[in-house]
Amino acid sequence: MVQINLPENSKVKQGKYFKDLTGSKNLRKVNVYRWDPSSGENPRIDTYEVDMDNCPSKVLDILNKIKNEIDPTLAYRRSCAHGVCGSCAMNIGGKNSLACTTPHAEIEGDINIYPLPHLKVKKDLIGDLDGLYKQYQSIEPWLKSNSKSETKEIIQSKEDRAKLDGAYECIMCACCSTSCPSYWWNGDKYLGPAVLLQAYRWIIDSRDEERTARLKKVADELKLYRCHTILNCTSACPKGLNPAKAIAEIKKMLATANI
Amino acid sequence: MENKPPLSPHIQIYKWHISSLVSISHRITGIINIIAISFVCLLASLLVFGESNYEFINLFLVSLIGKFFILGLTWSFSFQILSEIRHIIMDLGYGFELRTAKITGLIVIFGSIILTIAFYLIGKNFF
Repeated sequence: MVQINLPENSKVKQGKYFKDLTGSKNLRKVNVYRWDPSSGENPRIDTYEVDMDNCPSKVLDILNKIKNEIDPTLAYRRSCAHGVCGSCAMNIGGKNSLACTTPHAEIEGDINIYPLPHLKVKKDLIGDLDGLYKQYQSIEPWLKSNSKSETKEIIQSKEDRAKLDGAYECIMCACCSTSCPSYWWNGDKYLGPAVLLQAYRWIIDSRDEERTARLKKVADELKLYRCHTILNCTSACPKGLNPAKAIAEIKKMLATANI
Repeated sequence: MENKPPLSPHIQIYKWHISSLVSISHRITGIINIIAISFVCLLASLLVFGESNYEFINLFLVSLIGKFFILGLTWSFSFQILSEIRHIIMDLGYGFELRTAKITGLIVIFGSIILTIAFYLIGKNFF
């Protein structure tokens, strides 16, 4: 259901203000969403003054700097710092992206950092992605081949392999799914762009033999057709992929397939 | 004690862009069209009940509210039609690149305004 307002326990309050202690002239204000599960209080926005003269170029560097030098209680996920693992997906300046690949110079004014939208918050910038992973599991993202031998290589032509370009690169960071208003309102049933892009990846794989069954599975009012081409997903994807187009392709396949 | 986890902010903080604006406007103009066109049909069917109703309808249409109503409906209808064409093209699988989607979105927004002005001028016998 569409619920525009946040529930009472999720209303964001003004938090602490951390003044700069380094005496730097080149400061930026960074507003970070904080929620401590042990406090029983509502989430708050803490503001940090960060010395930009001694800070590398990406938003993740700012977060690391805050955690190392200003406030060690800040919690966020990060791992590879090179846009490959997808751990540091968050809402930066109103748009979902990976903190490790987003340059802070591109953001005007104060830098606002929130967790990925419309998720249950576990702590600070960490959202609960269990629902998304369950949906990912539900599309059975592995090769299904019944007739071919299990010991022999299944040959794929170069053309068929090329069809997977733009689909296999997904790192499941959830930037797209959590940017989608349809997924916000119907996240329990609508699969969302990330999972549908993966569904598409297995539907078009020439080696897979369960194509019809896979199509049938997503051919449900809520699982697929809640995509209204808002394109928040495509504009959010840090890998430059196009989930909206993949969903449109599945819709086309369903319209032309005889299922 | 574990507390109930809050829901992270969503529509309150998410940045708008052309495609999301066109998408939500498509819905809003759709609802406006249903209500407004039903109202026009109601007015038209009043004519069945006699001449005197014509006066009433005319009075409404030349009033300030009536003019606003006509122009508003012209705009929301133009917007809906153009946006629907954009949707059909997307249903065929085209126009999903961010640049293209932005351009077609801008065409819908400015096209609807241009169409409204054009209809207004046609109504004024400008051409």
